[in-house]
Amino acid sequence: MRVAFVGKGGAGKSALAGTLARVLARTGEPVLVIDSDPMPGLALSLGFPATDAGIPDDATVERADGEDGPRYRLRPGLSAAKAIELYAVAGPDDVRLLQFGKLREHVGSLMRSQHAFHQIREELPVDRWHLVGDLPGGTRQPFFGWAQFATVVLVVVEPSEKGMLSARRLARLGDDEDGPAQILAVVNKSRHRDDAARVEAGTGLRVAVTVPWDEALADAERRGLAPIDAAPDSAAVGAVACLVTQLQAGAQP
Amino acid sequence: MKIAVVGKGGSGKTTTSAIVARVLARQGTAVVALDGDTNPNLGLSLGIGVEETERLVGMRQALDAAEGEHAADWDSLLDLFGSDGPDGVRFAVVSQIDNPEPGCP
Repeated sequence: MRVAFVGKGGAGKSALAGTLARVLARTGEPVLVIDSDPMPGLALSLGFPATDAGIPDDATVERADGEDGPRYRLRPGLSAAKAIELYAVAGPDDVRLLQFGKLREHVGSLMRSQHAFHQIREELPVDRWHLVGDLPGGTRQPFFGWAQFATVVLVVVEPSEKGMLSARRLARLGDDEDGPAQILAVVNKSRHRDDAARVEAGTGLRVAVTVPWDEALADAERRGLAPIDAAPDSAAVGAVACLVTQLQAGAQP
Repeated sequence: MKIAVVGKGGSGKTTTSAIVARVLARQGTAVVALDGDTNPNLGLSLGIGVEETERLVGMRQALDAAEGEHAADWDSLLDLFGSDGPDGVRFAVVSQIDNPEPGCP
């Protein structure tokens, strides 16, 4: 399966993406997680040590005069699969994590990494890995480069008016012919029984799963631990496990 | 005073901005609240409501897409693209906040 998480900042994309990847990996499947958010976070939710490891500048070469295409591309002889072997970090449950360069000085310094990243995603052999993508928060071009790539886009929605307004905007962006195959909502931090119904009515998206507000998950996040390590029996992690089962059933009709 | 609020997603930028704006306005200060977020929700936290917020967002999108008519000068920007919220906070959704050198238009 190829799953991308989008949503409003703070909705819980990283926590859910990290947990989903770990749950999926425990079923014995090879999982590659792609973090395209230049802010740190996903590594912690996955249970990896915090790492700035990304795609180094010398993995790329600059376009020569007269050539077409993006300004930077992977250096000659470096395939997408090889780049993953070299630059993706291995972690618990044998999950592999490929990080976009992390924001240190200024956005301009990330351009090489960004171009390499897009090329890897485009050229990746799709049947080798299950892919879990964590996209930057917000609603500006969130599907950039991912729309055709992901088979399922999960919009993480907090059941607040602001959360639903953001999700509506995302649903609109995804709802064109270039949009992803399937867009589903994941209700997160739910405290009321009618949240799923409210989100369906408020966003027009089908709710795949409702993740309850969970003090154990919040505590794991506060301590910088992966939810699946710190709170394996929590209701929130259980809900993500249900989501995995559902997606696996959907992926193999 | 000019206050900019930044931070990680979900940390409370929008809510904080809205409360600061409303509190200042209640103290009798003339307040302009500008939403420069790519996911503009400040109107909701200010109490302006979904419909009016989306109307202002639509105007910004039209300008970004070069479909709308821009303001003729600085003074008319807020008249054209702003909206009055509770406690008299004047609110607008903006693409960019420039701080021009004196003498620039």
